[in-house]
Amino acid sequence: MDDSTSITLDAIHLLFSGDAELWAIIGVSFQVSSTAIFISVPPALIIAFILAYADFPGRRLLISIFNTLLAVPAVVIGLTFYLLLSRQGILGDWRLLFTQSAMVMGQAALSFPILVAMGHAAFQAVDKRAWETARTLGANRMRAFYTVMKEARFGLLAALFSAYGRIIAEVGASMMLGGNILNYTRNIPTAIALETSKGEFSQGIALGLVLIILAFTLNTFLQYFQGKGHLSN
Amino acid sequence: MKTEIYNTFINFSDIRKRFGQKQILDNSDIEIKSGKCILLYGKNGSGKTTFLRIIAGLETPDSGFVNTGLGKYHWKKCRQQLRNSVVYLHQQPYMFEGDVISNLNFSLHNKLNQKQRLQRIRSALKWAGLESIAENSAKTLSGGELQRVAITRAWLRNPEILLLDEPVTNMDYESRLRTIDLLLNLKQQGVALVVSSHDPVHFEALTDNCLQLSEGRLSDYTSSENITPINYKKYIYEHTY
Repeated sequence: MDDSTSITLDAIHLLFSGDAELWAIIGVSFQVSSTAIFISVPPALIIAFILAYADFPGRRLLISIFNTLLAVPAVVIGLTFYLLLSRQGILGDWRLLFTQSAMVMGQAALSFPILVAMGHAAFQAVDKRAWETARTLGANRMRAFYTVMKEARFGLLAALFSAYGRIIAEVGASMMLGGNILNYTRNIPTAIALETSKGEFSQGIALGLVLIILAFTLNTFLQYFQGKGHLSN
Repeated sequence: MKTEIYNTFINFSDIRKRFGQKQILDNSDIEIKSGKCILLYGKNGSGKTTFLRIIAGLETPDSGFVNTGLGKYHWKKCRQQLRNSVVYLHQQPYMFEGDVISNLNFSLHNKLNQKQRLQRIRSALKWAGLESIAENSAKTLSGGELQRVAITRAWLRNPEILLLDEPVTNMDYESRLRTIDLLLNLKQQGVALVVSSHDPVHFEALTDNCLQLSEGRLSDYTSSENITPINYKKYIYEHTY
C-alpha cells in the first residue's frame, strides 16, 4: 500500500471509530453554520423577494451590490468583522472575538449575498401572475409571499444549499473570528488547515470526507426534491 | 375608514393613469351592477387591462374615486375592500403547482375544516363539469380547461365582481361556449362581470352594456343587441381601424 492509500484508510477508520475530538469538531461546524443560515435566511429571502417584485429607485444598484458581494473572499469578511469585534473596534465591548458567536456573524455575512442573489434569481423566475393571482384570490401579503416561495422552491433550495455549502467549508472567516480553539471554535476547515500544517493528514482527510459526504447529501436531496418536474424538453 | 361594498352597484370615477408620457386612462368612469355584464372593448394597448387591474386593486391609479353606495372615497381607501370583493382573471390565468383540486382549495376560506373544503370543492367541480380533470396537474391544462378552472376558483371565492381579461382568446368553439355558459351562470347568481375582449360577438348572450375604451376614455357605445355576427365585421372595422 502506498502512503496516500494508507492515510485514506486511516482517515476512514478514524471517522467511524467515534473519535471524540473529531466528532466535536464536526459538531462545532454544523452548530455554527446552521445557526448562521438560520439567522440569515429570513431577511435574505425578504430582500430577494423585494428586489424581484418591487420597483423602487436604487433597485438595480442594490442588485449589483449583492452580486458584487458574492465575490468577496471569506478572509476579507473575516478581517472586516475582526476589526469590528477587536478591542479597539466599534463592537469591541461585546467581547465576541474568538467565540462561536463571532464565527456565526462572519458566516451569516458570507451566506447573506449568496441567499439574496440566488433567491432573487429564483423569485424572478416565477411569473408575477403568481403573486397577483394569490392576492386577487384573497391571500394576505404573508400568504401570497409563502405561495410565491412555494412556486420558487427549487431555486430557493438551491440557494440555501449553496450558501450552506459555502459557509461550512470556508476557512478564512472562521480562523480569524473563531481562533481555532479546540472543542469550542475549531470547525472542520480550520481543523483541516491545522492538521495539514502539522503533517497529520489522516484527520484532515477524514474531515474532508465529511464535507464531501455533506455536499453529496445536499445535492442528492435537491435532485430528489426536484423530481421529474424539471426535465428539459 | 371602513366601507362595505354595496351589492347593487359600485361606481368608479375620474380614473386616471399615465405610463411615462402616455396617458392610458383619462377621467374614465364606470358603474358596475350586480348580475350585469359589461363588455369592455378597445384596441390593443388601449388600456383595457390596466383599467381592469385598477378595479381589481392590483394597479394603483394616479387618481380615482370609488362609490360603493355609501359615499365616494378615494381609490386607496377602498383598495382592501376591492380586493375582498373583486376577482381578476388574467388573459392566461396562472395555476399554482399541484392538481386542479389544490388550486381550487386555494380560494377557500381558512376557517373551513377539511371536510367542508372537500364538499365545496366537489360541488365546484360538478358545477363547472371539471370532475374528470380534478386530479390533473393544473400546469398541463388546455386553454379552455385553464379558463374554466380559473373561473371555478374565482367562484369559490364568492366574488361580487369578476373581471375577465380576454377570456376566450385562442379558444376553440366548444371551449368558448362552455366558458360563456359558466359566466352566464355566474351572472344569474348575481355576480357582476366586466369582460374585456377584441371580439364582442363572442359575448352576445352575456353582455348588457358595451363600453369602448379609446384614447383613455370610456364611452357607452352600444347595447349588445347591436353586436350580432351579421354586423360584427362592420362593427370591428369601424371601431378598430
